[in-house]
Amino acid sequence: MKNKKLIPYIMVSPYIIHFMVFVAFPVTFSVILIFHKWNIISPMEYIGLGNFARLFNDQFFFKSILNTLIFLLIHIPLQIIIALLIAEALNRKIKFKGFFRTAYFLPVIVSGVVVTMLWQQLYGFDSGLINRFLVSLGLGKVGWLVDPNIAMPSIAIMATWKNVGLYIILFLVGLQTVPPQYYEAADIDGANYFQKFFRITLPSINPTIFMVVILSTIGGFSLFIEPYIMTGGGPLSSTLSAVLYIYKQGFFYYHMGYAATLGFFFAVLILSVVVIQRKFIEKEK
Amino acid sequence: MRIKKFFLLSSIIVLSISCSEKRNRDIDAVIYWSSNNTEEIEFAKVVVNSWNKNNSGRQVSYQPVPEGQSSEEIILAAVVGKTTPDIYSNMWQGDVESYADAGALVALDTLDGFWNLINERCDSAVIKEVTSADGHIYQIPWKINPIMLLYNKKIIQSIGFDNPPSTYRQFFQGGSKFSKDKNGDGYVDQWFGYSEVIVTWWQRLFDFYPLYIAASNGAPLVEKNRAAFNNKYALEVFKFLQNLYRKRYFAKERLSQRQDVFLSGVIATRFTGPWEISHAEKFKPEGLEYSFTHMPVPDYHNGPVYTYCDPKNIVIFKTCPNPDLAWRFVKFMVSRENDLKFLRITNQLPRRKNLAGDFFFSEYFKSNPKMILFAEQAEYVKGTDQALYLKEVFDLISQEYEASVIYGEKSPEEALSDAEKAVNLLYLQ
Repeated sequence: MKNKKLIPYIMVSPYIIHFMVFVAFPVTFSVILIFHKWNIISPMEYIGLGNFARLFNDQFFFKSILNTLIFLLIHIPLQIIIALLIAEALNRKIKFKGFFRTAYFLPVIVSGVVVTMLWQQLYGFDSGLINRFLVSLGLGKVGWLVDPNIAMPSIAIMATWKNVGLYIILFLVGLQTVPPQYYEAADIDGANYFQKFFRITLPSINPTIFMVVILSTIGGFSLFIEPYIMTGGGPLSSTLSAVLYIYKQGFFYYHMGYAATLGFFFAVLILSVVVIQRKFIEKEK
Repeated sequence: MRIKKFFLLSSIIVLSISCSEKRNRDIDAVIYWSSNNTEEIEFAKVVVNSWNKNNSGRQVSYQPVPEGQSSEEIILAAVVGKTTPDIYSNMWQGDVESYADAGALVALDTLDGFWNLINERCDSAVIKEVTSADGHIYQIPWKINPIMLLYNKKIIQSIGFDNPPSTYRQFFQGGSKFSKDKNGDGYVDQWFGYSEVIVTWWQRLFDFYPLYIAASNGAPLVEKNRAAFNNKYALEVFKFLQNLYRKRYFAKERLSQRQDVFLSGVIATRFTGPWEISHAEKFKPEGLEYSFTHMPVPDYHNGPVYTYCDPKNIVIFKTCPNPDLAWRFVKFMVSRENDLKFLRITNQLPRRKNLAGDFFFSEYFKSNPKMILFAEQAEYVKGTDQALYLKEVFDLISQEYEASVIYGEKSPEEALSDAEKAVNLLYLQ
């Protein structure tokens, strides 16, 4: 009888242990760290709100947030438009539909590091394939990763290429839920393709669009691998994302307390954005 | 109640597993970690075997530093987890102060025979350089790889130089003659020199810092927790490099992803260390002749030219159960005989005074004539300042370097002033 009562606890124990080690302990510890100065090897020093005072004077952190927002501003609309257009095409009766769906999804499952290194070769100024192609057309070379004004858009294009497959699938699901009767009625009324697309398709898949916006926003805020490998945050800190900056503070300079504070501030920021988006969605519904 | 007990028990088990630290160590055994390159592992094997043969009761075991993103990261993890070796021989000099400050290292100057060894091995400038802020010495200067100017002899002769360019003016002359757009696409594709344009802090150890040391005869970057680099020497270096990039004598593109640009004649010079010799000998095309000279200096510079030497030193960690035994092994390891073995096996220079003039090493330099240039340069080298947060200092300089030197967004004066303010703020915080 006693053993029987223990069984449920044993069953949930793997999750409980995992949760405590990888969630509860790190979160609790990082809250403690916020009020301390700690470089891992020396004892912790209590500094009250010192890390927050530093944060509000840290121009690099605010630049990194601005960079992340610039990335989101380019990446989200680009991703939605491209994913929607491709999904719309794949929703029609075309040949090799299965092949195209697989092909578009392939980059999603390829390692981010591999994709980033591949695009690094494409973006090379002198020897990159894209610039070689531009020169062969008689056009000038573009400083994809070396021009501070172009580096972040370049990363946004690459991130879009990497993730668009996932959003194509989501849009396809959305498109397939639109009742065909709507289109039939529109056909009878003499509506053209664009009228049907903007008056029927888009309003019908609104919930999918908002879901894609939220997923892209959260994914975009965690921008890290691409600038870490491709540019190291340069040129002129133009691709320094917030997560990359927090990583540098924590695991490069070992300012653990400060990194925890930045992480906390950034988490609150993401939460605020998502809450606003949710409110907006609920209102739309 | 049971649930509470269950959670409490789980917490204790998890925390005790993750935090417990108990090492039963034999007091008459020493663990030594070497660098993880093949040559240094070979040297570690030779020196440890030689020690163990004559010290049967006091054995040393060696292993390369475990693989990781960087050896610095591994050492940090070991310090935190209290799993450090007793001896580590690849500690970057710039890291020693923070470990000493954290109480992780043994003060070697408290051990028997330290001063005899250090005075026999190093001159007073080196001893001063490795002395920590608290007055103790926590490291034995072990090996160096001075940064010099590698140049293609034929190219240098073909543009009218009898000797390699040694001043900024000569460098600009060389740049104007050699840098050009060869394929006529409107972009320069042959440059006089190249240094990676990445903003990563350590890249500045191979361009700005050796040039700064050369211009200033070894001036510090940081002194008494204040920036000391906003001076005429750093300004000269920033202006020099900024002009090289502005005039397209140095490539702004990352050329490291291509076939070796020096060996293929795309660039004529490069700031580099002695490791380039074995690489060049292995991969150079037929007919390529190269040599090394000192770093370029301002036109007014007189006297010997200093450079940065990328020093890696030996430390003993406080976790060592028998520091006296570890110290006896370190003394054996840095003896003249073992320094010669180290030189022969690794082609890296021991940090030992009068290396080039010491008859004991002359045979090696006769059979490795290019290495003598580095040994002669070794008399005029500097490592790093003994200061905390050096990586961040280099990173802050690197940010301004990128803005001013590479992109010309700031004047050198503004960039250095901003870097100085940022470094001073760093030490205040």
